[in-house]
Amino acid sequence: METSFAITGKGYTIVASDTTAARSIVKMKVDEDRIKVLSSHLLMACSGEPGDTIQFSEFVERNIRLFQIRNNYSLKPSAAAAWIRRSLAQSLRSRKPYSVNLLLGGYDTTSHRPHLYWVDYLGTMTEVPFAAHGYGSYFVLSLLDKYHDPEAPLEEGLAVLKRCMDEVAKRLIVNPSAYKIKIVDKDGVREIEL
Amino acid sequence: MASSVHLPTGFDFSNEIRNNFLLDKGVKLPKATSTGTTIVGCLFKDGIVLGADTRATEGPIVADKNCEKIHYISDNIRCCGAGTAADTEFTTALISSNMELHALHTGRKPRVVTAMTMLKQMLYRYQGQIGAALVLGGVDASGPNLFTVAPHGSTDKLPYVTMGSGSLAAMAVFETGWKAGLSREEALQLVKDAISAGIFNDLGSGSNVDACIITANGTEMLRNVEMPNERVQKERRYGFRRGTTAIKSETIRSLIVNEEIILPTTEAMDTS
Amino acid sequence: MSIMEYNGGSVIAMVGKECVAIACDLRLGNQALGISSKFEKIFPVTDKLYVGLPGLATDVTTLKELFRYRVNMYTIKEEREIEPDTFAHLVSSTLYERRFGPYFIEPVMAGISTTPGGKVKPFIAATDLIGCLNFAKDFVVAGTASSKLFGVAEGLWEPDLEPEDLFETISQTMLNAVDRDAYSGWGTMVYVITKDKVIQRTLKGRMD
Repeated sequence: METSFAITGKGYTIVASDTTAARSIVKMKVDEDRIKVLSSHLLMACSGEPGDTIQFSEFVERNIRLFQIRNNYSLKPSAAAAWIRRSLAQSLRSRKPYSVNLLLGGYDTTSHRPHLYWVDYLGTMTEVPFAAHGYGSYFVLSLLDKYHDPEAPLEEGLAVLKRCMDEVAKRLIVNPSAYKIKIVDKDGVREIEL
Repeated sequence: MASSVHLPTGFDFSNEIRNNFLLDKGVKLPKATSTGTTIVGCLFKDGIVLGADTRATEGPIVADKNCEKIHYISDNIRCCGAGTAADTEFTTALISSNMELHALHTGRKPRVVTAMTMLKQMLYRYQGQIGAALVLGGVDASGPNLFTVAPHGSTDKLPYVTMGSGSLAAMAVFETGWKAGLSREEALQLVKDAISAGIFNDLGSGSNVDACIITANGTEMLRNVEMPNERVQKERRYGFRRGTTAIKSETIRSLIVNEEIILPTTEAMDTS
Repeated sequence: MSIMEYNGGSVIAMVGKECVAIACDLRLGNQALGISSKFEKIFPVTDKLYVGLPGLATDVTTLKELFRYRVNMYTIKEEREIEPDTFAHLVSSTLYERRFGPYFIEPVMAGISTTPGGKVKPFIAATDLIGCLNFAKDFVVAGTASSKLFGVAEGLWEPDLEPEDLFETISQTMLNAVDRDAYSGWGTMVYVITKDKVIQRTLKGRMD
């Protein structure tokens, strides 16, 4: 029942993910952070098989960091997304594939544009203005079709995000209790409370 | 993927685990193009006539209305293919290549039995997984030879043969019309009739008749020797007027390289 | 459900007079849920050759990368651009190599080549998912809307269309066929390739 969504706006990408860690019918945790900060301008929200999400996101995090140390510059969001997709596609051809769905939000410091990639465990990848994973996506995507504005300032973006969270809370049978929200823009990554 | 430019030979099974995983989720594999097909071959006085229809199907859809099913093996040997289209295409291409190497190695004209043995050994090795049903014919030092090769690798040597989904219709024609010592024209007509029987009575076969006559003097490939299903000219034009389709955006990339040559303006040398 | 319907998508290519056209829809779905309306399935190979890759979206990206690698290796080794028919065989053998564990893609190619005599030769081809080539003289189709595309194209296509007429024919074929397919649509992208220019146009499609 994990839900994560993300939207882009004028010079920023917001990524939000619920913080509930559940097993079967039991809520194990309500403060799980599913959004990994991969580099100064790159965020990744992971959902899927509990062990796989952590293992895979740490694998990605360390490889992105390794690239940065070796080359003294960070991968652009597009390049990072391509590498992550390839890792998933290769994993899918192994005996025990990672079952992880991702939203990759970033800010390209060279072209000064926000980016958002929708990636699933099969290695499907596409760049989108807004995206969602999990059961919440069925409500949120239609809402964003109507209210998303790629030129909206941050306040408006956050207002749309609030709408999304409210809708999920209203309609999904088990509503997530809290969300972690992270923003990436020209100044880097920061976490906010709504 | 191998980083070497010299790729390893044989099939690549790297997608196998993933595809089984997807199959376990309950999704179905899409159908590969198959040639429902009527293919035939028969002996006559001085050689062999091979015949084939030209329809390729993907399930109930006609994927190709005029494909070629008589494949080249060597100058004096040809092979008709039925079954999974890609398999017939690649198996015959591989054997054709190996036959050429074999001919160069031995310095002799290749024999039909050699091709037949190569085919049956390969198909047996793959235990019927390569879905190629073939009619192999040619003329060599031993005279005319005609074989069928089944997907599992079993072979038959017969004076007249048919294969594919239209084989029953075609065989009925052969059974009534074939006799030993047919003339070239009689044999060609018989093959045309056999293929036509497949085209009109079997749904997996259709369109045109291809034939190939192989004698000791040479090989004659008769592509579309009979075209009983040609489309008639349309009575009207159904084209749309220009500007019918609304365009959202357009980018035009010119492939003409324009070069503007600016000659350096040379000032007259100061000779004063 | 077939694996080809998992993400949806269709491609068509047509021959005209000294030109070819290739078009794809822009939908990326996750079964019935639409994810993106900007998922292009046609990629350039050379200036005058394009390949469309409808099928499972992860393989669209994987094969796009694989073909780019192989075409680059060919260009370096041969010191010339790859010809359309050579590329068709490259695609075919790449797919047949995985005969028993295929990529779920049915590629469609469209391009033009110039003969040494300076004549322009239009070229289209398609293969099934294990690389059986189909060189057609009129049009080729693939993807979830293929059965519908076959029908519409059969009625609308005629020989020797000029680039602008070919554009109308392929566009109307695509737009009308994908409207009858639940898994394709959400916009269309068309490329018309002539000997001296490539026209790329996006068309508005129904969003349902």
